[in-house]
Amino acid sequence: MKIARYTPAFELSRLAHLEPWARSSFTHFPVVGALLNEFLPTLSAGRLATDVFEDADHYYARFEVPGVKKENVTVELHQNVLTITAERRVKSGDQEESFNLSRSVNLPADIQAETIQAKLEDGILTITLPKPQQQKPKLIPVN
Amino acid sequence: MNTLCTPQTCAQPTAGVTENLRKPLYTLTGNADAYEVRVELPGVPKANVKIDLEDNVLNIRAERASPTNESWKPLHREISAQNYLLRLRLNAPVDEEKLNARLEDGILTLSLPIREVAKPRRIEVN
Repeated sequence: MKIARYTPAFELSRLAHLEPWARSSFTHFPVVGALLNEFLPTLSAGRLATDVFEDADHYYARFEVPGVKKENVTVELHQNVLTITAERRVKSGDQEESFNLSRSVNLPADIQAETIQAKLEDGILTITLPKPQQQKPKLIPVN
Repeated sequence: MNTLCTPQTCAQPTAGVTENLRKPLYTLTGNADAYEVRVELPGVPKANVKIDLEDNVLNIRAERASPTNESWKPLHREISAQNYLLRLRLNAPVDEEKLNARLEDGILTLSLPIREVAKPRRIEVN
């Protein structure tokens, strides 16, 4: 049997238009976030925490995956939904536990799957998504 | 005066200013020979971990590497930027010489061997 935690997907393109204060529930209430962490550690432990950034040419998604080996991470793009699945194995003596963490992000259309890059470093998975050409401003030379 | 202080606009705290630190998730296992502490420190490179043992209190302090470039504009944030601090009081004398720490994939594994004198001793009956 496999238990998968429910983590709602979110729309990357819609996020871009939100006000900063509306983006994250606890970012501006660190006390509330810290209290929740203190008393309900499983709440944040089972969730794959995500940051999304953008610059002129790329989107960057970062996922917190402590204790996950490179070979146990799958990044999948299917119909504009990017799904990250990470399996974490904890060995203690002769026992082994394994957890599956998964999270999906809705991407704007037209992102080329071939151009996506993923890097795992110090327990942080960074995914670089180049923006499609038509979203970038184009300079038209005047003749 | 009445300006909102968001993580994007706030200046980095300088020395002398109270710093927000977060307690990392950790597990502690142990047997008669050694304790093993496993601390989750995602986003921390090896060079930024400081461990010291003083008066039977184990101090683990870890600083996150700055994750982003200046030009990156945040759209959605869940990962905390706070540094980590974990303080553990040990109730058995630990052999400081054999203390061993390893950081791998964002997990710090510390093994703390218990000193010979503190181990339970079995006395054979003749």
